[in-house]
Amino acid sequence: MSQPSIVVEDLYVRFRPYVERKPTLRRTIGRRRSLEEVIALNNVSFTVNRGEAFGVIGRNGAGKSTLLRCVAGTLRPNGGKAVVHGKTSTLLQLGVGFIPELTGRRNVYLGGLAAGLRKREVDERFDEIMEYAELEDAIDRPMKTYSAGMFSRLAFSVALNLDPDVLLLDEILAVGDASFKEKSMQAMRDLLDKAGTILFVSHSLASVKEFCDRAIWLERGEVAAHGPSAEVVKAYRKSVAKQNAKG
Amino acid sequence: MTQTTSSPTYYTRRLVYYVKELWRRREFIWFLAMGNFKARNASTALGLFWWVLNPVLLSLVYWLVFGFIFPSDRNIIYLMSGMFVFHFTAQALTGGANAVLQNSKLLTNLKFPRLILPLANLFEALIGFLVSLGVLLAVQMVLFVVIRDPESSPQIFFPTAFVVLLLVAIPLQFLFNLGLGSIAARLAVPFRDINNFIPYVNRIWLYLSPIIWPLTMLDTERGQDFAPYAELNPLFPLISVYRAALIGDPFDEKMLVQFAIWALVIGVFGIGLFVRYEGKIARHL
Repeated sequence: MSQPSIVVEDLYVRFRPYVERKPTLRRTIGRRRSLEEVIALNNVSFTVNRGEAFGVIGRNGAGKSTLLRCVAGTLRPNGGKAVVHGKTSTLLQLGVGFIPELTGRRNVYLGGLAAGLRKREVDERFDEIMEYAELEDAIDRPMKTYSAGMFSRLAFSVALNLDPDVLLLDEILAVGDASFKEKSMQAMRDLLDKAGTILFVSHSLASVKEFCDRAIWLERGEVAAHGPSAEVVKAYRKSVAKQNAKG
Repeated sequence: MTQTTSSPTYYTRRLVYYVKELWRRREFIWFLAMGNFKARNASTALGLFWWVLNPVLLSLVYWLVFGFIFPSDRNIIYLMSGMFVFHFTAQALTGGANAVLQNSKLLTNLKFPRLILPLANLFEALIGFLVSLGVLLAVQMVLFVVIRDPESSPQIFFPTAFVVLLLVAIPLQFLFNLGLGSIAARLAVPFRDINNFIPYVNRIWLYLSPIIWPLTMLDTERGQDFAPYAELNPLFPLISVYRAALIGDPFDEKMLVQFAIWALVIGVFGIGLFVRYEGKIARHL
């Protein structure tokens, strides 16, 4: 039995959309017309071991991103806990901490420092990041001039060069061209070989099946299936097909 | 880890941990402050020069208003010294309210001490303030060379030995501003209306502070009613200390003590308020 790297226990998250989403003074002082709660996650538990890739699948709004935010530690759950052992790198969105008006070079530093690196550590990794992002001279141009592909190549290469023990990914392989996608997969495999851990949220069922050892399927915030990724994907496909046939 | 213990050692340990985390990320604070300033001025032709140009233009405006339109006995040095000090605090307030909202992407994706955001904003304002003090000194020099008559313009002094007061005044104002910015940031997350109020708060605060009116006004018949309240304004003792350091006003230790108390109270209260709320911020974004 290898060491657990991510432990999620009985996670429970609820939102009160009316009160907690952009409540203005009027809404707060005035009558609260709606106090209905949305339960984003309920009773979610799983463990991911070191060196394992773990997939999370489910429909839009099933709670996948909320789950990842709890694991990343940016959202405090209402109940239960999510504990991560090791240095975490999160890729929930691309280009976090980037300021588009600044050059790519400057943003590499910003992104790395935002993720918790020291400047010296970014210095050390800079060449590698550059090589991977394939930007060449564009690195000294403002990032707002970048194409979407260039932007995501740089953002992804910063994230991968943080040398994380645990990588949290939210549906980001959808961007970039085919060769970049292949390189990203390779980088993730390298991470797994180094006993790293990956938590992988994706709509691409094929890559979850190919890439992950185990997976869970979330349905309206609850675990609908949990087990080897091939089986979970199969069960999910079946349910989607059934619903499509009905509708 | 999520256990809530109320023992003092528990809180002390958490505080020490928090400060350590902030210190570890000092380079990030710096890069964020510089990055935001550069981004703001990236598309302007003058770029970094705006750091100097902003205080110069600000003083020119007031010099025009109070030198020509309403001629008065306040000279430009008096105006500038008060204005720059005020501007530093006003920026902390405006920027603090925006600091969290503008960085929602960072907040939802990464775990770090949230106080970094108001801090980075404050460092950006601090650099601007230090540059503006340089501008003040330059104007003093120019006026000194042009006028050369200390009798007729008693307020055009070079900083005296009291300039060392800056070493106390600036850190104290920094603490005060951080507290104020944190309060603004804390309130602006659930109540975005705050952002609309702040310009008005700043404007009324400017008029209540001894910047465009002279201290002698408080002794006049009209000023008497206001006089007892004037010193309740934390910027009153602060500006007085700065003027002792910068333009040769008499130094009154009482003023320094008074502001130090303000800075400690607002600083500790504001930071505490913000840090206690940190965990909930992500729910409101």
